[in-house]
Amino acid sequence: MIRALVVDDSIVMRKVLIGALNRAQITEVDQASDGLEAVQAVQQKSYDLILMDWNMPNMLGIDAVKAIRAGGYAMPIIMVTTEAEKSRVIEALKAGATNYVIKPFEPATIVSKIQDVLAKAGVVI
Amino acid sequence: MRVEYINPFIESVYDLFSTMLGAKAERGEIGVTHTAANPRDIMALIGLSGPVRGMVALAFPVNTALNIVNRLLGTESRIIDDTVSDAIAEIVNIVAGSAKARMNSGEESVIDLSLPTIVRGNSFSIDYPSKSTWLEVSFQSDLGSFTLRVTFQQLEPKGKR
Repeated sequence: MIRALVVDDSIVMRKVLIGALNRAQITEVDQASDGLEAVQAVQQKSYDLILMDWNMPNMLGIDAVKAIRAGGYAMPIIMVTTEAEKSRVIEALKAGATNYVIKPFEPATIVSKIQDVLAKAGVVI
Repeated sequence: MRVEYINPFIESVYDLFSTMLGAKAERGEIGVTHTAANPRDIMALIGLSGPVRGMVALAFPVNTALNIVNRLLGTESRIIDDTVSDAIAEIVNIVAGSAKARMNSGEESVIDLSLPTIVRGNSFSIDYPSKSTWLEVSFQSDLGSFTLRVTFQQLEPKGKR
């Protein structure tokens, strides 16, 4: 059973992303509303995939990615954010993000990215 | 404030509708207003800072707001609740973020966004910044009508007067 963590301060965006995960046959999904909650969740439970927003209160998504990687966790992390500048994409990838999706996105795009990063990580859905 | 300043926001609205909402939006004429009083039932505002200072607002009638949320979530809710406010906040966040990327020249991010604010009802006015001019454009869409407003001013680089 694949377990995913969706991190976004928007309840609606979390629901949209959970819908995308469900379409990718991933139904075991936890939620976090900021980077700090995400880091705490990763320390408490094992996840196969994280979808991470950038701009959130308490701790930014980019800082959560750095903290998760510093903790030795290697699961794929897809940034899902309005931050569309090339410099931001590079910054996220350097911090340890596996892939990057810019809002707004088509539902099929995010499903495809999810399947892609899991396949590359050797995770079978 | 030049009329073309609103173009990145208009393009971002089109993008949002065609991608996440699977709907078509068409704009009307661009106008000018000197007040930010809510022209609709629910309005989301987000601030811009950096080399420009200003604000972006999207205002929706109740029906349009509900249609957007229902389209996003695949629901059929007819009640304005916190989920609707959250959705409208995310909508303006996406539109402003996308427009920011279009406006930022080069690779560096030079314009920052504030967290969005939601206003319900229209028995108030917002005057920001003082004496500012708002560009306004109304849209018709498959999900209903709505209004985009933008105001900002280009700040002079440090050292210049």
